[in-house]
Amino acid sequence: MSKKEIRFTSTGDPVRQKPLSLRIWQNRGFYFMFLPVFAFVLIMYYWPMLGIRFSFFEYKASGRGAMTWVGLQHFQTMFLNPIKAPAFWTAFKNTIELSVVKLLITTFASVIVSIFLNEMQNIHAKKALQTVIYLPHFMSWAVVASIFSLFLSPSSTGLVNGILQSTGVLKHGEYVYFLASSVWWKPIYYLINIWKETGWGTIIFLATLSGINPELYEAADIDGASRGQKIWYVTVPALANTIITVLILNLAKVMNLFESVFVLYNTAVYDVSDVISTYIYRQTFATMNPDYGFSTAVGLFKSLVGCVLVLVCNWASKKTRGRGII
Amino acid sequence: MKKKVLSVVLASAMALSLAACANTTTDNGAATDNGTSTTETTNTTDNTAAAEEEEAYQLSTLRMVVDGTLTANEDNRQDAFEEQWEKAVSEKMGYAVDLVIDQQDHSGYKDAVGRILLGGDLPDVMIMSADMYKQYQTTGLLWNMADAYENAEFQSRMDMPLINQNMKTADGALYGFAPYYGNGCVTYVKQSWADAVGIDLSTIKTYDDYINLLTAFATGDPDGNGVDGDTYGVIAAGFGKMDEAPYINYMSEFYQGAYPAILQDENGVWYDGFQTQEMKDALLRMQDAYNKKLIDPETLTASTKIAREKFFSNDQTGSSGAFTYWAGTWYQTLTDNLIKNEVDTDLVMLAPIKETVDTWGGYLNREAPVWVILDDGDGNDARENAIFKAFIETMLDGGTVQTLWTYGAEDVHWSTKAEEFVLNAGTDKEKAYSYAEGEFHLKQAPNDPNSLWKKNLIDPALVVAHLNDDTPAAAAKGTDLATQGNKFFTANCVDAPAGASCQTLTDYAADIADAKNAVIASVVTQNGDVDAAMEGYKTAVGAIIDQALAELNAQ
Repeated sequence: MSKKEIRFTSTGDPVRQKPLSLRIWQNRGFYFMFLPVFAFVLIMYYWPMLGIRFSFFEYKASGRGAMTWVGLQHFQTMFLNPIKAPAFWTAFKNTIELSVVKLLITTFASVIVSIFLNEMQNIHAKKALQTVIYLPHFMSWAVVASIFSLFLSPSSTGLVNGILQSTGVLKHGEYVYFLASSVWWKPIYYLINIWKETGWGTIIFLATLSGINPELYEAADIDGASRGQKIWYVTVPALANTIITVLILNLAKVMNLFESVFVLYNTAVYDVSDVISTYIYRQTFATMNPDYGFSTAVGLFKSLVGCVLVLVCNWASKKTRGRGII
Repeated sequence: MKKKVLSVVLASAMALSLAACANTTTDNGAATDNGTSTTETTNTTDNTAAAEEEEAYQLSTLRMVVDGTLTANEDNRQDAFEEQWEKAVSEKMGYAVDLVIDQQDHSGYKDAVGRILLGGDLPDVMIMSADMYKQYQTTGLLWNMADAYENAEFQSRMDMPLINQNMKTADGALYGFAPYYGNGCVTYVKQSWADAVGIDLSTIKTYDDYINLLTAFATGDPDGNGVDGDTYGVIAAGFGKMDEAPYINYMSEFYQGAYPAILQDENGVWYDGFQTQEMKDALLRMQDAYNKKLIDPETLTASTKIAREKFFSNDQTGSSGAFTYWAGTWYQTLTDNLIKNEVDTDLVMLAPIKETVDTWGGYLNREAPVWVILDDGDGNDARENAIFKAFIETMLDGGTVQTLWTYGAEDVHWSTKAEEFVLNAGTDKEKAYSYAEGEFHLKQAPNDPNSLWKKNLIDPALVVAHLNDDTPAAAAKGTDLATQGNKFFTANCVDAPAGASCQTLTDYAADIADAKNAVIASVVTQNGDVDAAMEGYKTAVGAIIDQALAELNAQ
């Protein structure tokens, strides 16, 4: 435990701190203003967390709202039950894989697009392009899924299959059911994520790029650097810290994957697409009398993994940036 | 120091709240107040007094939870329905009853019921699908209405007593009431498409005939756009709905005698229909048709809405010629949409093929949705009896209230007053209606003046007890096609097998459904080996199926 720091006045006497109650009373106006925020935090952030207790109970609709203590039974079922555990571990593996790969490729794509945008000389074209690539971010996943389901439809009206047929890649009448193929589902999922989120991801990188000292480029010009060399030796190093920061901040959110998968997956691709949140959803809502205790236990495990990732990221952030994220 | 104080305060708040919540939840394991405002006059123990108490019990409010089948929803003047129900029932009961309708989203109804029951604030009555009813009937949440049902006034007008009698458990308990039978699906075919490919639909008698028809649709140019092979034979919302009995409804020609669920043989022994040779054969039939592009590939992911809309879309490229869907009112609705989109004017209902008749006996009539009364668990049936009398008994009173449930509110959804109105005025679909004073007729739908109101919750063609002859609505004639559809289905259907219900099936329902879906997707859409897929199914859930069968056969 660190020793309490003692502060001194200019005359060398130790500063005598007033009692806490007196300090609160003297600053009562501020504390009064803080009350609504404090209440909001308690109600909106901490009160719902009380629900984690369900994971230690059997909690079914048929029980008239009563709960039966089962201890760690739900966790045992989740990890070891021969019926439920395989699907759970598949979902866990898919969650990590889909999230991490998505994070890496969307970040990489955002960096590339940011650099290209930064190199554009025509300001009007640059702004127009920025607007166009930001737009998909504001579309809901339900709309995005509908659009891509139409494009990728295996029926004779599907745009992509139509193009593949007309260009001879596929024979007439042949098709690829992209969203129902275990081979194609993941690449398509990543592609849709790149389309939707790359534009939005460029904002933070463009902000960093605008802050690069122009003298660095001038110096590079004097040294005879080509455009490519300026990007590689000036722009990319300037972005490195931001890239790491973005990756670290997003790494903490890898377990939060639901909507984008839910609207795009189907029974044919559960093995490659089912994630923990969709697994919880089916365990809860695809059955008539679900045990909410089990669903909560799976959710709690997901939160714990997320919490560990936040702590790891905080540690990584301290190492790389000199300060933590929490 | 500040952080420490704050941490202690937060931790204390959480701990106190946790303790408070735990106390609340452990206390409500027994009887819970369902929130219904009631008046009891006596509380005695002898039978006479109890009977008097039941007689004296008065409901002041009645809260019902219902799905989208109540078509008099908020957009369709539910307020008028509610007001007229309250007036009619209050007159019958001799005291005022306030009806509170909690109408939940139809597609999310299963989730909603779970949440409502979990919350502990139980409604008085709710509608449940047959599957849902099976899961909840043994939980103690539902009131055994067997005695009330036997003594109900509507027994004298009962046309189909077996629908409810068959729902009784082995010990004679009845936990739900079905005011109408379940209905089922028939296969519809576009007449213009059949004409275009030169096939007489009356010749479709066997599976081979059916496949030939689908092949003609898939390889020819039935939509007349000049392109061969840009259409399909059939579309459905999935290759089998594994979470909704009777599962095979939308693809009955392919399933034939197969049934992908636990069912009883002729000796009453439960077995897993999913693991039978019939099921493997059905999967191979679907695989073959899928590979030959007779089935629209989007069947795997299509919802019922998407399947319907592709069937009657005004752009028929990529559409299908056959579509197996609900009988009765849907016959009218599908035809209306085909006409509206200028696709076809005639939709033909196919009789069940020989293979279906030889195995099941016809199209499957699903187990009916039921109304259940939530038992407050206080050991006294006074409240539940009062709910039965006010809600269920009046629902089939043969008069005013039954008319409300069947056709909606008077002078809002239907009327006997002289009137004239025109639908789609000024268009080529304009149609004028004229009725004399005293003539029962349906009015324009409140939310769409260009369409005619069809029905409310009860389908008049499916109801188990008829209206009294002196009720104006007794003279009602359903739309021609709806009536034809119901008659056709009734003449060609058999009851679906009874569903199984036990704790293991409840606990692992989602896992079993996932395993079945994986087999179907693997075999049908990915050309997988059916035996290997079935082995995968056994590995995944075989042990739990065996456990469920042991439970069921021990019952």
